[in-house]
Amino acid sequence: MGIPEIEDAGCLLCFGYNGADSHPIVARRIVRGRQKGMKIICADPRVTETARISDIHLQLKGGSNLALVNAMANVIWTEGLADTKFIEEHTKGFEDFVKVIEKYTPEYAEPITHIPAETIRKAARMYATTKPAMILYGMGVCQFTQAVDVVKGLANLALMTGNFGGPAMGIGPVRGQNNVQGACDMGALPNSYPGYQNVTDPEARAKFEKAWGVSLPGEIGCPITHVPHRILHEKDEKKRIHAYYIFGEDPAQSDPDLAEVREALDKCDFVVMQDIYMNKTGLYADVILPAAAWGENEGIYTCADRGFQRVRKLIEPEGDVKPDWQIIAEISTAMGYPMNYKNTEEIWNEMIDLCPSFKGATYEKIEKYGCVQWPCRDKSMEDKGTPYLHKDGIFGTKDHKALFYGTDWHPPVELENDQYPMTLSTVREVGHYSVRTMTGNCRTLRNLEDEPGWVQMNTGDCERMGLKKGELVKILSKRGYCITRCLPTDRVEPGATYMTYQWWIGACNELTTAKLDPISNTPEYKYCACRVEKIEDQEWAERHVMELYDDIRAQMGIDTGKGAEA
Amino acid sequence: MALKQVQTTCPYCGAGCQIMFTVDSDANKIVEAVPAKGRTNDGTLCLKGHYGWDYLNDPQILTRRLRKPMIRKGGKKAPLEEVSWQEAISYVAKRLKEIKEKYGPDSIMGTGSARGAGNEANYLMQKFMRACIGTNNVDHCARI
Repeated sequence: MGIPEIEDAGCLLCFGYNGADSHPIVARRIVRGRQKGMKIICADPRVTETARISDIHLQLKGGSNLALVNAMANVIWTEGLADTKFIEEHTKGFEDFVKVIEKYTPEYAEPITHIPAETIRKAARMYATTKPAMILYGMGVCQFTQAVDVVKGLANLALMTGNFGGPAMGIGPVRGQNNVQGACDMGALPNSYPGYQNVTDPEARAKFEKAWGVSLPGEIGCPITHVPHRILHEKDEKKRIHAYYIFGEDPAQSDPDLAEVREALDKCDFVVMQDIYMNKTGLYADVILPAAAWGENEGIYTCADRGFQRVRKLIEPEGDVKPDWQIIAEISTAMGYPMNYKNTEEIWNEMIDLCPSFKGATYEKIEKYGCVQWPCRDKSMEDKGTPYLHKDGIFGTKDHKALFYGTDWHPPVELENDQYPMTLSTVREVGHYSVRTMTGNCRTLRNLEDEPGWVQMNTGDCERMGLKKGELVKILSKRGYCITRCLPTDRVEPGATYMTYQWWIGACNELTTAKLDPISNTPEYKYCACRVEKIEDQEWAERHVMELYDDIRAQMGIDTGKGAEA
Repeated sequence: MALKQVQTTCPYCGAGCQIMFTVDSDANKIVEAVPAKGRTNDGTLCLKGHYGWDYLNDPQILTRRLRKPMIRKGGKKAPLEEVSWQEAISYVAKRLKEIKEKYGPDSIMGTGSARGAGNEANYLMQKFMRACIGTNNVDHCARI
C-alpha cells in the first residue's frame, strides 16, 4: 500500500507507531482519514496524538504486543469474523495457526496486556468488520526481542480478514529514516544483494559474480548489531572484526549500550569514518573522509512505500569534500578493484539491470513521473510501478499463497526488579532527527529543543518522588546512567519512562540493552529496567550539564570561547 | 543575483516529501524552501522539511562540518591531522589490504547509510565490500 491510500481506509489499526512525532506528514493522512470517517484503533502504551483521535485506544503494557495480536486473532476466529474464502483460496497453514491462538482468549491476554478483555473484543470486531482495514506499524513493534513474530502476527490479522491485494488495505511499516528502504533495496544487508536477491542462492550469486567479474562469498555476513561482540569477544581470528568502515552513521550515539560500543571502537584496529559532520564516532576514528551532504549531491532515495524519487544538487559544497559514491570508488580502485563511474545515473543503470524488481525504474522515468514505486519491471514508459503489493491476493511465494505463522508471546528480556523498578523505552523527537548532526546544526530547530532532553514520566510517579517539571534527574540502568530533565505527563503509565535518543548528555543509549530479536537482529530499545534518582543540588546539576555540553562541543571542533580544542 | 528553482526530496524520515528550493547560484546559498506537490506530501511539509536545511550553512552550533580528509598519524589517541585526498585514499586502501591479507576478508565490516548518501552510494558500498573486500559483512542502521 502507499502513503496516500491511508486516508481511504475504512479502519486503521495503528500499532506501536507514533506518526505525529516520527512522520508528521504521514500523520496528516491519518487525521484526514479520520475526517472522512475512518475508524481508528491505536495500540500504544502512551496516549499519542493518534490515540487521542482513536475510537479505541489499546493502552497495552510495554512488551506485550504478541499477546494482544494473538488475542485479536482469537476473537476474529472464534466469533466467525474471518474471511474463510480468502483463507482457503490464498493462504496456507491456517490450521496450525489456530492451534497456537486457541489459548489466547481475551481473558488470557488481559493480565499480560493490562487491557480489559471486552476492549480487546471490541477492537478485534471493529478491525474485522470495517473494510478495507489497514495496519500501520512502527518501532513500537520492531524494537523488541520479539519483533519479527509480531510483524507476522499483524500480517496474520490482515490475511485472516482478507485485507490484502486491494487499495487502502494490507500492512505497512513506516520506515524511520529517509532512506532505510533504499539502503535495504540496494543490498546494504548481510544476507542479500540489491533487489532482495539472497547471497545464499547460488543462481543469484552466479549472476552477480558474472556482472562484477569476481567470485563472491556465499555465507551470510555480520549484522551491524553484532559488531561490538565480534570486535571484543570473537575467539576466531578470521571472524574477529579488525577494521570497521563506517559510512553515514554514528554508532557511538545511536547504538544500544554505548559503553560497550565505545570499548569496541577503541579496541578495533582500524576505524574509518565517512560523514558530513564531526560526531561521537569520529572521536574513535583513525581516518575521517569528508563527504558531500544532501543538497550537495545527486541521486535517488526510496521512501517508506517503495517510491524511488530524485534528490538533486542545490549548492556546490565548500571545502575539500567528495560525493560518497566517488570516495568508495576511489578506495576500491586503489585496492585493485577498479570502479569507474561518471555520475550516479551510470551506477543506477548497472544496478537496475541486475534487479528484476527495479529494472523498469530508469532515471528518465523517475524524472518524468516524479516517483516510481517498485516493483517496476519494464523500461517502457507504460510501466509506472506498483502502488500496492499482492494484487488480487497473489503473493510472492512459489505457489503464490501466503503463509500463516503463529507463535507464543514471550516477555521482554530485562524486567523490572528491586534495584531498577521502572522501565525505559526510547522514542522519537518531532523537531530533531536521528543523532542530531543535521537538525542540531539548524538554528530554528535547535531553538525548539536542546540538551539534555527529557524523560517522560507519569505525573503520579513524579509526585511520589517529589520531582517537578524541568528538574534535572539522574536515570540509571545496570549498564550506565545519564542526566536529563523530568517531564511529568499523564500520557504515560505509572512505572514507565520514555526518552528520545539524540542527546549527548541525556543519552538514553547509555542505559539501553543490546539484546536482539533473533531474526531481525534489532535491539530491544523499547524495554529495559531503569531507576530514576532525584538530584538534590539542582544548581550544581545545571552547571554540570553546561560544562559537559561545552566539553563535547569543543571535542566536536566548535569554538566555545573557552579555549578547548579537539 | 541568479536565482534558480530546484525540486528535491526531503532528507528526513521515510515519508519522502518533495520540497521546492530557491537557490542563489552566485552566492551559492539557499534562499527559500517551500512545499512542492509530491505524491506523498501533497503540498505540505513538517517543521524539519521547512527548516532542516540550515546545516548546509555550517552555523557552528553543535559540531564542525568536515571539510578535509584527516588521519590520526600517531595512533588511536593522537590528534587528527589534515591530509590530501590522495594520502587518505591510499592510506585506507593500504590498511584494509593489510588487514585482509593478515586475517581474511571477514575481519572487515562496512556499513551502508540510510541517510543522505542515497541509493547509488549504498549500491557501491555493498559492491565494494562483496567484490573488492570479499565479504558479506555489510549492513546499515535499519536495525537500530
